[in-house]
Amino acid sequence: MNALLELKDIVKTFGSHRAVDNVSLTLNPGEKTVIIGPSGSGKSTLLRAINFLETIDSGTIFFEGNEVGYRQVKGEQVLDKPKSICQLRAQIGMVFQHFNLFPHMTVVENAMEGPVTVLGTPKSKARDIAMSMLEKVGMSSFADRFPASLSGGQKQRVAIARALSMQPKVMLFDEPTSALDPELVGEVFAAIKQLADEGMTMIIVTHNMGFAREVADQVVFMEDGSLLAQGSPGEFFGEHCRDPRIQSFIDRIF
Amino acid sequence: MTTRIDILRSAAFAALLVFSLLVVGAQPAFASQGADADDLMRKANNIMVTGDLKGAVKVFLQIPAPGLEGDEGQFASSRMQAARLEFAVKDYPAALAVVGELLAVYPENIEALQFKSSVKEAMMPQWKRLMNDTIKFVPHLLKGSIMTLLLVVFTIIVSPIGGLFIALGRISNFKTLNRLCWFIIWLFRGTPLLLQLFFIYYGLPAVGITLKPITAAFIGLGLNYSAYLAEIIRSGILSIDHGQMEAAEAMGMSYWQAMRRVIIPQTYRVILPPVGNEFIALIKDTALVSTIAMVELMRTADQLFNASFNITVLGLAAVIYLLFTTVFTLAFERLEARVGIYEQR
Repeated sequence: MNALLELKDIVKTFGSHRAVDNVSLTLNPGEKTVIIGPSGSGKSTLLRAINFLETIDSGTIFFEGNEVGYRQVKGEQVLDKPKSICQLRAQIGMVFQHFNLFPHMTVVENAMEGPVTVLGTPKSKARDIAMSMLEKVGMSSFADRFPASLSGGQKQRVAIARALSMQPKVMLFDEPTSALDPELVGEVFAAIKQLADEGMTMIIVTHNMGFAREVADQVVFMEDGSLLAQGSPGEFFGEHCRDPRIQSFIDRIF
Repeated sequence: MTTRIDILRSAAFAALLVFSLLVVGAQPAFASQGADADDLMRKANNIMVTGDLKGAVKVFLQIPAPGLEGDEGQFASSRMQAARLEFAVKDYPAALAVVGELLAVYPENIEALQFKSSVKEAMMPQWKRLMNDTIKFVPHLLKGSIMTLLLVVFTIIVSPIGGLFIALGRISNFKTLNRLCWFIIWLFRGTPLLLQLFFIYYGLPAVGITLKPITAAFIGLGLNYSAYLAEIIRSGILSIDHGQMEAAEAMGMSYWQAMRRVIIPQTYRVILPPVGNEFIALIKDTALVSTIAMVELMRTADQLFNASFNITVLGLAAVIYLLFTTVFTLAFERLEARVGIYEQR
């Protein structure tokens, strides 16, 4: 099976700080990867590098088997032309910690925006797509509301529908429940879980171990920019977790 | 209105004083023109300089009419002086009576006729005088307002576009463009608009560019207001959470698509109050183009005022400016309510 997404030796530095230090990761179609690790371990940076919100210093990103996103100019690795970056991003859905819904658009307009502006989908068709995605996350009855009138959990579900309406090949979740009140976390995870069950390929950065155990095919543990361990949820959360650092992190979280 | 009368009155009084001192000083020159009349004139003037105006009037009126034993010149000037003194003490009926006496003998005396009409005007009730002035001046002022409105409308259309481009230049990564836009803002915000207008209208011909006043006014106002709006628009763009740009780009939008669809529409709510403020300043700033031979509201008012010395003109111009700014204020309040609607829960 060909990997959908492959990261090879990714390095990202901020000044002298190596936020991501030589990380490699492979994602097969339909696979759910959960990245865990303490704050500042570079998991969000890694996730953001996948859709080029962060420009990496070195390393290679393969998408559907092709090397993407960067080209060599005089021996330096620079970001590819905006047009090809946009084309890649259109195939990668992203959900942010702080939702980042467009406040001046209604719920359905938020979900229509990508198809209409990026893909050039006719408005009526985009509305149908948007409504079906809102339906999927249980937000279709809020279609004509503005984001300001929604709860955090509702906003995040709309954000998921917005990303889905682009019909992406992979979904990236950057701490999707960290900004939510505890009682709202469940509805967002339910939406993500449903998406996972439908076979969506996804990477989730989260601190929620329960969710990681429930949804993940592979769990990745990062600390100080490095990928320390990678394995099945069983290996991570089972009785015989090998790495004491992972064990201590998990103990702290629970 | 009283101010105007006061000005007239004190001017008349001062003129009288100067005149009478001249007469007193130049006494021998007049000595041959009838001894009695000269004596009376001198006596009246002497009383007048003591401040006893009514007393002076009495003496002036003793100067006889010509035809009997009086002298034409002395009669006319004594009656005019007496009438002016009555006017100065606001005794308008008395002033009319005195000037009537003069007109009875010399019905064609232009000075007397003019004086009579200004006394009559002064006797009119305030409201009637105001109404007369209004009817007289407003059509001219409105005609001038058309040019003011034209300048305002032009600048309101052009400067947000210019301002947007300068603002985008200022936040762009292109160093040269960024610096150029910084320079434009620095130049046009850092010098007086009046100076810019002078430079464009009077200065550019020196390098072979001669502009019509209206073209110079359009360029000056357009550039100046673009520079100001650029900074407002830039601050609006910077006030939008960076996550908005990221979210837009993450779904595959180009920078410009994100700007056009996501960022700029969100700035409206933020920039509308300061932009409204600028546009109200603009309405008043158009008055500056009157200095480069543009006939607009201010210039019209100035011309009318200089011709009539009637302060009502300026008051009426103020009312018209207030009318414009009020319409703008209200329009912007409504607009603000509309663009902010999505923030309401």
